[in-house]
Amino acid sequence: MLKIRYPLDSELANSIREMRPPKELHVNVRNLVLKVGKGAVLRKGDIVAEHPSKGVGAFHASACGKVSGVNYHSLTVKCSGGEETVDPVNVETMGKGLELLRALQGLGVDAALFKGGAEVLVVNGQNPEPGISVAQQLLRDGREEIHAGLQMARRLLSPGRTVLAVPKGEETSIPGAETVGVKAKYPYSLDALVVRAVTGREFPEDVRVVNVMDLYDLGKVVLTGLPITETLMSIAGHNYRVPIGTPVRHILDALHMAAGPGDIVVLGGPFRGEAIYSLDQGVKKGDHGLFITSSDSIPAVQDAACINCGECVLQCPARIQPHLISRCAEYERFDEAVRYGLNSCFECGLCAFNCFARRPLLQYIRFAKAQILAKGRETQS
Amino acid sequence: MNPPILKAMSDISLRLTVSPPPHWRSGRTIQGMMQAHLLALIPAAVMAAVMYGWRALSVVGMAGTAAVLTEVACLRLQKRDVDVDNYSALYAGVLFAFLLPATAPWWLAAMGGVLTIALGRAVFGGFGCNPVCAPLVAWAVCRFSWPEAMDIDLNLAGFMANSPVDQLMYFGVGSLGQFDYMDLFMGRQLGGLGSSQVAAVAVGGLFLLAARWIRLFIPFGFLAGVAGTAAVYRLIDPTVYADPVFHLLAGSTMFGAFFLATDTASSPVGKIPQIVFGLIAGAMVVVIRAHGVYPDGVPFAIMVANLLSPLLERLRPKYFGVR
Repeated sequence: MLKIRYPLDSELANSIREMRPPKELHVNVRNLVLKVGKGAVLRKGDIVAEHPSKGVGAFHASACGKVSGVNYHSLTVKCSGGEETVDPVNVETMGKGLELLRALQGLGVDAALFKGGAEVLVVNGQNPEPGISVAQQLLRDGREEIHAGLQMARRLLSPGRTVLAVPKGEETSIPGAETVGVKAKYPYSLDALVVRAVTGREFPEDVRVVNVMDLYDLGKVVLTGLPITETLMSIAGHNYRVPIGTPVRHILDALHMAAGPGDIVVLGGPFRGEAIYSLDQGVKKGDHGLFITSSDSIPAVQDAACINCGECVLQCPARIQPHLISRCAEYERFDEAVRYGLNSCFECGLCAFNCFARRPLLQYIRFAKAQILAKGRETQS
Repeated sequence: MNPPILKAMSDISLRLTVSPPPHWRSGRTIQGMMQAHLLALIPAAVMAAVMYGWRALSVVGMAGTAAVLTEVACLRLQKRDVDVDNYSALYAGVLFAFLLPATAPWWLAAMGGVLTIALGRAVFGGFGCNPVCAPLVAWAVCRFSWPEAMDIDLNLAGFMANSPVDQLMYFGVGSLGQFDYMDLFMGRQLGGLGSSQVAAVAVGGLFLLAARWIRLFIPFGFLAGVAGTAAVYRLIDPTVYADPVFHLLAGSTMFGAFFLATDTASSPVGKIPQIVFGLIAGAMVVVIRAHGVYPDGVPFAIMVANLLSPLLERLRPKYFGVR
């Protein structure tokens, strides 16, 4: 067992930096409904794709240009360098209701987050994962947008109580929300654990959690009326404003970083992020970090048998039994996996982090969840 | 004909490693774990060599070699990857050797190494699948098959010491005056060649605890179970039952607490189950020593507790958010 000392709060010295605009965008459109085809000329902010399920924000071009290629995975936009943008939509004057939600969704906000009502609104102001300082940066430098976003969120959800969860000891507050200090250590930044720290309950139904990054995006949409076209990323200790769809290769070039053969390049956080397979892949909405790990610095995962040491059980913040879940998932006995706490898992990744046998436990858990979901959909239709 | 494009944008000049999250890992491996465990056994092996001479080391070597070779053969037969380089087979063989008298014949050590792997692990599915601590299975089989060769008192009669647990069993509490507790602690007692080196075994165990390769729950529960049960017996009748300190220092109590009971596969998982498991195993040690026909109760006590593991694992908290 290794004691993890990965504090989430870090020293912020710099303000948010701008990323040099890329010449080409690779917008991830996998499993999305395309709205434009090859050859289409786009302004900045034009919708390129929508999500098939309701309540997920639309996807936009983050620069002017022409669509030069589409495949099942990504849509390539050759940037023209133009400054044209779509017309702003004034969402502030709209009445509360479906119309407003639809407008926000069209501007890239995940409307499902703000639908219905909630007794308590928790703003998760913790940095999501070690090495990412985006939330802290926004609470310092993006106060205006966060304030506007919070007002909009309160208007939509009309909560009785609004709480901002910040790292313990920080003196941050935003108007209209009480501040609660939460232990600044992974995994206490995860929504489920932040809610427990604030309300004392586990998975309560009447509580809505919004993280600071989403609130900032919402606020920006409210203030400018323009869709979400960029994401904030922590890269090598600094925070950058990166247009969505920027190829990772461009980021590495602009920041004079390098990835060698065999390295693991991760979009998102080191615990929950996604390892990309090509440097041409574009940055997605919600990617808040870029990490490069050389593959020999960490022992690789293995298709090994569980030795039943129990380290995962002792480390699990959800008190579930990852060793049994992974064994069930291996042999496609997903219903049995549910009995060992599959549905309580909020995917922190600490089980696989600590596994001596180097089993991909988090992957097995996600696999089992996805299979159960797919099976449920099959029986419905 | 062009080969089919498997992935859009895949790049042949720069192949990245794609692996599931988390992308940071503690860096701990089974190999490292077993190396640490073997390292923790070295003090006891050195003490055994000092006390019994080179014979002790040859017994350890024979059992370890037999275990590794058997593991190779079993994995080959099962058509699995041969991964003896994770030292788990060697470690299991050495653990078995530590329970033998130092004068054990070569065939007994070899037989034990073979049984540890074949009967203790391979038949249940290999490393990590054994329901009972593998070296103890081999010990029990050998104990029943060749009782003379396994008997500590009989084989080590030439040495100028006595086996405290045998003395207790055959001559009662009155005979224990011959033992100085400091002598027992320093390993000047007859017993399994490594398992009776109390101080050296404790040093190894504390190293494993400090390096966090094992958790405190099982060793603590085990020692507390031994001491607590012995204290209760002592209160009942001090003329018949030995005191707790004697039970902690005699025989292989310390070895069982740190090395046998903490066997990953056969011990339960979770904090409460592990503590209860330790307490039960520890209590059984004293019960067997007081009432059983075997002088040192540790091996059987741990085997009994091992069988309770699946039941103990039910003592767990509710899952997150389940009401």
